[in-house]
Amino acid sequence: MNDIKLEHKLAADMPKVRIISETIGNIIGFIVLAILLGADVYFEWPVWIGWILYGLIVFTVLGTIWAFIEPKYLYRSWSYQIDEDYLQLTYGVLKREWVTVPMTKIQSVSTSQGPILRKYHLRTIKVETMGSSHEIPALDEPVALEVREKIAISAKLKEVDE
Amino acid sequence: MRYHPLTIFFKLYQLIKNSFFIIIILYVIQGRSDFWLYEYGRYAFIVFIILRILYITVSWWKETYQWDKQAFHLKKGVFVRNFSTIPFNKIQNVTRQTTLFHKILRFTSVSFETAMDGADDTIKFDVVTKKHAAFLTDLVQKGEADDLEETENKFELEDKVESVKAKNEGKIIHFEPTKRELWKASFTSLSFLAIIPITAGLYDYVEPFLPKLEGFAESFFQSKWLIFLLSVIAVIIAVSFGVIRTFTRFGKYKISSNERYIYIDRGILSESNFAIEKRKVQGLQMRQTFMKRLFGLTEVTLISSASPGANDDSVNVNSLYPFLPISQAYALIEQLLPEYQLKTKMSRLPRKALFVKLLRPSYVWLIATGLLFYFKPKPFDLDITWWIYSLVLLGIIVLQRTLDYVHTKYRIDEDQVQWWQGGLTTQMFVTKRQRVIEISTSQSLLQKIFGATTLQMMNRSTPVQIETIVDVPVTVARFYQQWYQERNKEMN
Repeated sequence: MNDIKLEHKLAADMPKVRIISETIGNIIGFIVLAILLGADVYFEWPVWIGWILYGLIVFTVLGTIWAFIEPKYLYRSWSYQIDEDYLQLTYGVLKREWVTVPMTKIQSVSTSQGPILRKYHLRTIKVETMGSSHEIPALDEPVALEVREKIAISAKLKEVDE
Repeated sequence: MRYHPLTIFFKLYQLIKNSFFIIIILYVIQGRSDFWLYEYGRYAFIVFIILRILYITVSWWKETYQWDKQAFHLKKGVFVRNFSTIPFNKIQNVTRQTTLFHKILRFTSVSFETAMDGADDTIKFDVVTKKHAAFLTDLVQKGEADDLEETENKFELEDKVESVKAKNEGKIIHFEPTKRELWKASFTSLSFLAIIPITAGLYDYVEPFLPKLEGFAESFFQSKWLIFLLSVIAVIIAVSFGVIRTFTRFGKYKISSNERYIYIDRGILSESNFAIEKRKVQGLQMRQTFMKRLFGLTEVTLISSASPGANDDSVNVNSLYPFLPISQAYALIEQLLPEYQLKTKMSRLPRKALFVKLLRPSYVWLIATGLLFYFKPKPFDLDITWWIYSLVLLGIIVLQRTLDYVHTKYRIDEDQVQWWQGGLTTQMFVTKRQRVIEISTSQSLLQKIFGATTLQMMNRSTPVQIETIVDVPVTVARFYQQWYQERNKEMN
């Protein structure tokens, strides 16, 4: 199943953007943990709180290392395809996913852009159906707008069907 | 039009019923407590009740409903006025409930369930006369029929309306439980065990009032045959209690259908009547608990996109009879929904899937073992080391997974998917390709080593129905994706 490749890939800047945003998140995480640890020592909280904090630190360190390795592989694993009838997504480094959504079942499509994405002129597409929501992270701006348009048209044209 | 004036009465009755425990706590158990929470609580509660009564009365005055050929028009709310129009064709199923309250007053309640987002997605008539309920139901069903006709050839319209009417009238009864089946159901449901918590609870209440006859009690419990006699009596009471419970709940059960609708009627003390349009059934689920498997029974549930409001009764109204013999269940499904062809020949998992299932780390076991190691509990004064419990749990998990391997069967062909799975409790799910609103396949690292995948599908329901089947071969996943993308065949 891991050799599935759909038509389109994400923007080439995606790993860079992801590393930046993950690192910011992790730095904030470390700061919060450091404050809590300081409070733990200062206020002499119960022992088990200390254990939990050390556990969290270990997880955060591992997570930070992973955050530098993962984006490249995640980028390679991502691909998507849009045709008249279906939206297909496949992604995942450790666990591979392959999702197929009929266009007729899509209820809304939107794009969004945070400060880091804006710097690299990228957008994220969010698709919502009756029971789920999916994201295509980091597409080049013109591509993203085109994709949104395409999904909107395909989803709407078929509305008459049901 | 206003709702029936008795609605006020009904809502008051519900208000009292729901706040019964609070009343008991505030005014009886803690009646003399001067702890501030209870003291002010008593005043606050009275204020709340008065406001509530005012609200109920005013809202009855302000809230109205109307209808035309195609839709209900509702006016709701006291402070925030809300007007809504709900077309009949959005109504997924109709449930009529006649509780004891309704029975005494010779009324009934009807709710029309829709599958729209938002809180007010059911149109509920709490108290209506039986005649009016029948009228409203007819209205909705006729509205649906008109909608159906519009999409078809206009020339034959008149003919068709006539034939739809005729077909609606010809109800066929498919199932009514016999006495023997009810007895069987009484024992499989284990409902007689329900008496244990009830007696225990009762004993706690009664104990302080029991005369203290210590000498008598001691000599009483020392004589073994008396205890034996008492247990026998207890068992007899428990069993007859269970039987009565089952008979009242499932005694008058009737599954019938006509060309367009499926009807499920049940209950003796409080009745419920459920109707769903056949083309609005999203899928079927068959569940077998361990006990039911021993007796060869099963429960079939119709998946509808609107969930019939979870009512006080623990049985789902959209469940066909919960104790159907398997072969009869299959036959019944084929009669009710001829578009579903249940196949008995299905594919099984390859041997290596068993390894995947057994090797998958069990977080439940890991966490439980961690906790056992830390606390080293000794429940019931049993002198058993902690790791024995851990081993027993592991044994159960291995058994469960092995059974799951044995039970997993699947079949994906033409326009239908059907799969069975589960360990101690097994379930089957069947649906049509056009009813599936989304699919996905996934593969974890462990599955990758053994060439296994997980299939998932989503069906309309509230909340959405998500079904998965784990550890099928990779080739099936590919086939599944391809199969789904051919769904346009049915959509035309």
